[in-house]
Amino acid sequence: MLTVPTNRRAFLAAAAGGALGGLLPASLLHAQPTSGKTLTIVLPSNPITIDPINQLNHDAMVLGQTVFENLVEYDVDGVLKPQLAKALPVISADKKTYTFDLRDDVTFHNGKKMTAEDVKYSFDYLLDPANKAARRSLFTRITKVTVLDPLKVQFELSEPYGPWLYFLTKYMGIYPAGSRKEHGDDYFKSRPAGVGTGFGVFEEWKPNDYISFRKNPNYWRKGLPHWDRLVVKMIPEDATRVAYLLTGQVDLISAPPPREFNRLKTMPGVTGASRPTLGGALLMYTNNLKAPFDDVNFRKAVSCAIDRKTIGEKVYYGLLEPSAVPAPSRGWWFNAEADKELAFDIDKAKAMLAKSKYATGAEFDLSIQAEPYLLDTKDAAIFVQAQLAKIGIKVNLKVYEFSVLIQQAIRGEHQAALQVFMSPGEPSYIMQVCLTPEQVLSKSTGYNNPEFNQTLAAAFAETEEAKLKEAYGKLQALAARDAPIGVLGYVHASNLWRQALQDVKVNQGLTIAPGEIKV
Amino acid sequence: MLSLVAGRILSSIGTLLFVGLALFALTRSGPGSPARIVLGADATTEQIAQFEQTHGLDRPFLSQYASWLGDVMRGDFGKSFVTGRDVATDIVGALPVTLSIVLFAFAIALVCGVGIGVLAALRPGGAFDRLSRFAAVLGLSIPAFWLGIVLIRFLAVDLRWLPPGGYFPLSAGLSLHLQSILMPSVSLAVYYIAVLARMTQASLQETLRGDYVRTARAMGLSSSQVVFYALVNALPPVINLAALSFGYMFGWALIIEQVFNIPGLSRALLNAISQRDFLLLQGIVFLFTAIFVFANLGADLLNRLLDPRQRAAA
Repeated sequence: MLTVPTNRRAFLAAAAGGALGGLLPASLLHAQPTSGKTLTIVLPSNPITIDPINQLNHDAMVLGQTVFENLVEYDVDGVLKPQLAKALPVISADKKTYTFDLRDDVTFHNGKKMTAEDVKYSFDYLLDPANKAARRSLFTRITKVTVLDPLKVQFELSEPYGPWLYFLTKYMGIYPAGSRKEHGDDYFKSRPAGVGTGFGVFEEWKPNDYISFRKNPNYWRKGLPHWDRLVVKMIPEDATRVAYLLTGQVDLISAPPPREFNRLKTMPGVTGASRPTLGGALLMYTNNLKAPFDDVNFRKAVSCAIDRKTIGEKVYYGLLEPSAVPAPSRGWWFNAEADKELAFDIDKAKAMLAKSKYATGAEFDLSIQAEPYLLDTKDAAIFVQAQLAKIGIKVNLKVYEFSVLIQQAIRGEHQAALQVFMSPGEPSYIMQVCLTPEQVLSKSTGYNNPEFNQTLAAAFAETEEAKLKEAYGKLQALAARDAPIGVLGYVHASNLWRQALQDVKVNQGLTIAPGEIKV
Repeated sequence: MLSLVAGRILSSIGTLLFVGLALFALTRSGPGSPARIVLGADATTEQIAQFEQTHGLDRPFLSQYASWLGDVMRGDFGKSFVTGRDVATDIVGALPVTLSIVLFAFAIALVCGVGIGVLAALRPGGAFDRLSRFAAVLGLSIPAFWLGIVLIRFLAVDLRWLPPGGYFPLSAGLSLHLQSILMPSVSLAVYYIAVLARMTQASLQETLRGDYVRTARAMGLSSSQVVFYALVNALPPVINLAALSFGYMFGWALIIEQVFNIPGLSRALLNAISQRDFLLLQGIVFLFTAIFVFANLGADLLNRLLDPRQRAAA
């Protein structure tokens, strides 16, 4: 018996289906397969490179981390663990020599066994200025890499510098000896087949569309990955990215729109989660060398006038963890006392403003980024503008494209600039880059305090967590005393995925971690 | 006539060269260097300077333009210093994608726009005329990107008849190809259906009010013959508008390709802008300009064929 659709949606479907039926056979609709053993994940932006030593875009690091691996890795919980090394390194008493024992069961995708020679070659290539690796500057304290035996390699540093281990996890990869010369940089950039040890073997890059990898059948972590093919699609438009997930065209998306995140993760067939990253901060670079930020009381007034909790909850729908100091509140090195000094307190803000040179009111330009990256900073900027107006500070919002905004901050041409800053999650990175001299973003704040610099240098020489916590705590206390930079909070990494997927874990390091996902 | 055609072609080439120069100046006048994108926020001044030297970005402006133009004349659009890929290969790879959407949208706009305009002009003030005016206002008012999102919401997410985005070439099969270009093309076409319908209706109505039409009717020509001849005479402004629309469609495809996740030229252009990929940016805009200029040239020549007065003037 013929049944007549009784609800509006079914009726519309039937009517339009009839109209389109002749044109589009139903069997051919939705022809993009997602079943079987293909895992399809989505990035919001188009990557420039797969090469980890030149990668800048954090969410695109999933590409390099699929193909290339390192001596150590951050796991999804932000814990440093051995990867191609058997264990974490043995560190000499003077903290300048690091020795790694390598795994003996690792082969490159080209079938060659990985040895200490490959590790030395990879680092020597990275460190050679002639090769112009974008990430070289993070590793220049490495003075010598020595092969002690085929499975043992030693690194000598010019001075104690513990953070370098953390940078390995994102900005470095081990590739076969001679491979750079054999293939050239463009090969590593866009088609690095055969030159990694990772769980995915590069297959194809279709510009502006997708990059695909096939399973590495000889991967040293037996049983992984659980898929046969990984497809990384690039979908910049929020609504389209979500539509792809809802229609089952893709399995997992990164950077879901914050406004819809909570609603979407409860939709049928879809689930999701988020967690604060250890290194992604929403920063307001306040130029201490320019009025009105040349007055510490004014800087403190601005900090205390900002209600970060409301920004986190109401502006970013829970995807920003409030913090007033350059440390995530869930990090083991977080100093809650220091945070309290600069946290939201409108009376304190008014008192600080009254004590400042600008007690009768001030006005400043706040530069913001036109295109959203992880979060739309314009949303927070409008809120900050309204909040500062309450204590009599006028904020003029100026919208710039990313490269223009960052140029302003690097040259110190701005008064204040708001940006999501992605760091590797290493506790000292943001403080080093923005608050010490002769760093790329030194002029973004213009802050130079010998006590701060010495404390940071001492922290670089430490490897014990308890002593590091003390050092980082002191740095945050200094940051609370001088308020050289505005910190609004730490960004959440968030993913939405099809409920059918198993073992999906949101990575605190921000990139997607597809290796263990079961399709 | 031949000299006029040659003159128009030469002036079109002149326009292209001028646009090329302006484009070259504009891309380099921005404060951001591609080095900042490629090398990152924490690149040093020395690294930036080295990058610019390696890629010739520190050379005098006119010297850069002369070598670029010389290369383009030989069909070499250079190698992107952001992605490292050959610009011409990227353009050739993406062009068929954009063309298939724009051509399909253009066909829809032309058939529907002219068809609706003719039907509306036949009975001025009638129900269809009033309905078409209302629809035209709607069509002109709805932003293409919003329409695209609405179509994705209903046809892909709710009804699941069409994929939410992506692109299948014709070689993957006609049905798959049509599935992938239907929503983007319709989104792109709606505005131009409205524009062309209004222009066709206005032009045809005016022509139908002409003395010679009254004379033709008085002499006993059938209604369809009268409408046909009037339509031929009413077409020149419609053709001009269609040619302009064809050029503009490439611009709107920028947004449509983004909404529907289509790896076409416009998508490549947006990436080139955000990544300061000067060579790819110049290559694509130069191509878009060429399409726009030559579409208008084609329209001019077609009008001369249709309109004896223009031929006589030549």
